[in-house]
Amino acid sequence: MSAATTTISTEGKDDSPVAHALRRLSRYLRRNGFYYFIWSLITLSYVASFIALPLLVGWAIEGAMDPDLSREALTPRFIALLAVAVARGGLRFFSRLLVFTAAREVEYEMRNDLFEHLQRLPQSFYHDWRTGDLMSRCVNDLNAVRLMLGPGLLSVVQTPVLFVGVLGAMFFLNPSLALLVLLPYPLFILISRSFGTALYSRNMAVQVGLADLSNQVQEVVSGISVVKAYSMEEVQARRFKKINFELYRRALRLIMVNGAMPAITGLLPTVAMWVVLVVGGGSISRGEMSVSEFFIFAMYIWDLTFPTFIMGWVVALVQRGAAAMQRIDEVLSTEPSIRDHAEVVALTSLQGEIEFRGLDFSYPGNEAVKVLDDIRIRVPAGSTLGVVGPVGSGKTTLASLIPRLYEVAEGQLLLDGVDVGRLPLSLLRSSIAMVPQDSFLFSIGLAENIAYGLPEDAPFEQILKAAERAQLTKDIHELPDEFDTLVGERGVMLSGGQRQRTALARALALRPSILILDDTLSAVDAETEAAIQAGLGEIFAGRTVIIVASRVSTVRDCDQIAVLDRGKVVELGGHEELVARGGLYARLASEQAASERRRQLASELGGAEPTSAAGAES
Amino acid sequence: MSDVFHEEEALGKAYDSRLLFLLWQYVKPYRWQVVLTLLLVVPMFVAELAPAWIIKTGLDHAFKPEAESAAGDGPLLWLLAPPAGISAFIWLAFIYLVVALVSMGLQFGHMVLMSFTGQSAMRDLRTTVFDRIQQLHLGFFDHYPVGRLVTRATNDVENVAEMFSAGVVALITDLFKMIGFAVVLFYINPKLALATFVAVPFLAVAAIVFRLKVREAFRAVRVRIARINAHIQETITGMKVVQLFTREARNLREFDRMNADHRDAWNQSIRYDSLLFATVEVVSGVTTAIIIWYGTGLAEAGVIYLFIDYMRRFFRPLQDLSAKYSVMQSSMASSERIFQLLEKDVLIEDPVALDSPREVVGSRGSVEFDHVWFAYRDEDWVLRDLSFKVEPGESVAFVGATGAGKTTVINLLSRFYDVNRGRVLIDGVDVREIPQAHLRRRVATVLQDVFLFSGTIEDNIALGRNDLTESHIRRAAEAVQAHDFIQRLPAGYATEVRERGTNLSAGERQLLSFARALAHGADILILDEATSSIDSETEALIQRGIHALMEGKTAIAIAHRLSTIRDVDRIFVLRGGQLVESGTHEELYSRGDLYFRLYRLQAEIESSESAAEAPHSGAPSPSTSGRVSG
Repeated sequence: MSAATTTISTEGKDDSPVAHALRRLSRYLRRNGFYYFIWSLITLSYVASFIALPLLVGWAIEGAMDPDLSREALTPRFIALLAVAVARGGLRFFSRLLVFTAAREVEYEMRNDLFEHLQRLPQSFYHDWRTGDLMSRCVNDLNAVRLMLGPGLLSVVQTPVLFVGVLGAMFFLNPSLALLVLLPYPLFILISRSFGTALYSRNMAVQVGLADLSNQVQEVVSGISVVKAYSMEEVQARRFKKINFELYRRALRLIMVNGAMPAITGLLPTVAMWVVLVVGGGSISRGEMSVSEFFIFAMYIWDLTFPTFIMGWVVALVQRGAAAMQRIDEVLSTEPSIRDHAEVVALTSLQGEIEFRGLDFSYPGNEAVKVLDDIRIRVPAGSTLGVVGPVGSGKTTLASLIPRLYEVAEGQLLLDGVDVGRLPLSLLRSSIAMVPQDSFLFSIGLAENIAYGLPEDAPFEQILKAAERAQLTKDIHELPDEFDTLVGERGVMLSGGQRQRTALARALALRPSILILDDTLSAVDAETEAAIQAGLGEIFAGRTVIIVASRVSTVRDCDQIAVLDRGKVVELGGHEELVARGGLYARLASEQAASERRRQLASELGGAEPTSAAGAES
Repeated sequence: MSDVFHEEEALGKAYDSRLLFLLWQYVKPYRWQVVLTLLLVVPMFVAELAPAWIIKTGLDHAFKPEAESAAGDGPLLWLLAPPAGISAFIWLAFIYLVVALVSMGLQFGHMVLMSFTGQSAMRDLRTTVFDRIQQLHLGFFDHYPVGRLVTRATNDVENVAEMFSAGVVALITDLFKMIGFAVVLFYINPKLALATFVAVPFLAVAAIVFRLKVREAFRAVRVRIARINAHIQETITGMKVVQLFTREARNLREFDRMNADHRDAWNQSIRYDSLLFATVEVVSGVTTAIIIWYGTGLAEAGVIYLFIDYMRRFFRPLQDLSAKYSVMQSSMASSERIFQLLEKDVLIEDPVALDSPREVVGSRGSVEFDHVWFAYRDEDWVLRDLSFKVEPGESVAFVGATGAGKTTVINLLSRFYDVNRGRVLIDGVDVREIPQAHLRRRVATVLQDVFLFSGTIEDNIALGRNDLTESHIRRAAEAVQAHDFIQRLPAGYATEVRERGTNLSAGERQLLSFARALAHGADILILDEATSSIDSETEALIQRGIHALMEGKTAIAIAHRLSTIRDVDRIFVLRGGQLVESGTHEELYSRGDLYFRLYRLQAEIESSESAAEAPHSGAPSPSTSGRVSG
């Protein structure tokens, strides 16, 4: 399944994006080569029956109109006609079935590949790409590719063969009439091609209009509280109306082409029949042409109508499909910058020693800003490191580097003395449990969320234990379906604190060598937090723990505390030591004490909302 | 995901008269276009009949060049008789071309008119959807994901529009034409017509069976694709967690299963679709044979030509029946979802008698809650008989536990919700009697979660108010200390804010929201202080801004910060939706009750940690506290 995603971008780097995309597409086609092989045989047979049927109709008419032939003598002609009619239907069935099924198969494979690939792309990729854009590639573009391979491929392959076959048959019967009848067809293909182009560009304009419209809705809905608080409804309605009207205008422009195309292509068989009427009718009256021949020509023209009719549409389909394939290829060709090193150091387990050795970091695309600058910290296995500092000082980034969510730019990050980039990614990440700041939950059951990192057959006790440690059990029993409660999109059915504790439980369910808590309990009330902290000691034992916090009290018991400021470690040491030093940490600590008093005051006043991170002093 | 699943599952109908009626309300303004579109079908049908008839005439003529009556008799058929001096073939060829061009024009006109009507109606529907979204009360948005609302206004409306170009109208047209062809054929030669349509009952049964089968298949497809797309979306947004917990392999396995299910459902529908296609083709071939077999005994070559031509036109609409069915089904499903949204209650409406909106002249900014009771749901009272009054220019702070009703107070004041009992008054006027726009122009809310719109910094302060001048905005930004950081941005006030304001820090965003509130010149300020972790530098920055903002305004704060609590004129303590204590800091302190005890506690803490310097947010002793700014 992944063959196409991994090998492609290594070859032919200098070719055009279209060629690159189409080469990738051809891999999928080749993989379903069997379908296409059978399909091409069936298509050839179908074309044969397609050409044979009008001839047999002519034969039958000729016989039927011949007063010298008895009905019995006609029977074989009609049996042949019926047989070919049924065969043609049957072949049509299999031809459509095969090509559409193959298109679905390719769609299926490509969707799987996209999904697999997306899962391998690093966080930096998701900074650059909007979710909506990626979704549009996974949904709309994939659909366009599927249409290109289904109805598109069917016509593109079949129609020319049909034309050649019919042309041959017509020439065989009546060369001059054949020439006259088929004369307008190439012209019409040209016309429909140009229409196809117009159709494509106007369709794109409509798509852009739709995207603008959905951005407007998205923004207003996301900011609805501000919209209401500042009475922006009218302003926003005006803006929407403008976008809406623009979309409408573009849709009408599209309609003009959309409406003209069938009308013009519909003219084609009519004109062809006109030629047959004028030329053929004359010939018949002069006795140079038989009635049956007239019928054969008429039938060919009828039968060519539909394939010609849809050519314009098909051309647009193929163009759109090719563009869509290019957009998909763009995603699939993005090399996962974070993957196993070629010379991976195959450890079987991690002890958990972490060392930052002169590490620098800036986010890709924003290299001017050093988020981390010459970080030097050594965290012995089994010890705890607290990381504090003002907002934007690089704490979260520092933590994110350990599970290699981002690639180290300069300097080294060593785990058990091995460069983090050289460790097998699966070992690295399965040895680390991290509670990220945003506590994202999936819209599955609560228990499933907690068990997210566990194997499928993990015992329920393990989930229960984790929930207990995160002080979640009481809440769970108050939920409608307890552990089976569906938490909704991003966990909307839970409160902020419950979400955070679920995210914590999800990490605590694992038995990692390294545990990273990134400002985890900001929405959890102080009492619960104290209870959680009390239980954490047991979990911390024997593990390397990194605690990122904006409040000093959360980290005061850590073996080491690193104070970050604008990406630099400005202080490093134990709590007492740093307080005594009277630097940034001491300042943060005193401010923390002040806000702690505030919190107590507020809670005495009736249990105000918790502020973040109460102390570990309990 | 599960919601999407359920939502999609319920919908499989291709026809629902209630929905069509609702849709009709949007088409009604364009009803003359609709009538014209339908009327056009008649000349179009005639134009479709004509070519074969002309050829029949030509064929008949070819056999009997001397027969002048080749045109036959019947309405309009005299046209086919050539005027004197013109050869029959030339004349027929001329008529034929005229008919072809007219037919082309009609087809184009019909298509454009039909789509124009559809697009116009959909443009209106879209506006209605958007307006409704904006009118819905805030509580609605807590449980309705953004993406789904976007889908309502975009894809769903598009789907409904499809119904015009490919659904209902196309079906009516097809049906009309099919009946027309049958009638004409029976008129020409009933016996031959009977033989021609011998396969129709068989096809009808096939179509009915097909309809049932394909409905199931399409429904399965729709449900499955919705699941797949929801899953992709969720995985992308939660990718960090996926990767941290090394769920990739298992996710892929699960995804593969969904994906394969979807493919299989499609393959099912492909089978039925291809089968119908092939059946129509076989029937058409067999019927051709029947017409020739019986026809040659009953009629001339011209009539046989006519029969074969019309027969094929009769069967053609059946071939893309599945496509039309699919269009109908998805537009019905979409319109159902749209109308479900439109039928949601707005809850908050402007005073009915808009001719006499009670707007206070020379407003001053007093706020009063008069025996207010409020529940978000049923009788779960969040506020119980709450009464208080804030004088113009006074600043108050609400303190209390989660669920004590603090946020509800500000929600009611801005009239995001309506009270169940009692009244909320601004300068003595019930907020329900003030148009929402007026009300909210007077009440500026600074929420803890600062939302930024795409656009420049300046746009984000002005928020669509054209009457705010550049210098006005700049002064506001300066007053709340936002000017400095804005100046440092690459393009100053013209800097584009990125999606969700990711290029600004939390503190900077907070300051921007202060500038917003100040620039809009409201006289009542609502401040919902952030509870989440804010570092001290940000906090210091915010404190400086707040003081400038509150100056001279009636200010109501949901306070978490001690500095704010201390700086206000009065403090309201809420517990369980009731006011348990209120007064100035000094009053409450001297009363020796709860507040006093709290201060004692604070003093203790302070003395025990007196060594700690706090340059940014030192806590002065009670005696020195007071209002910082007048």
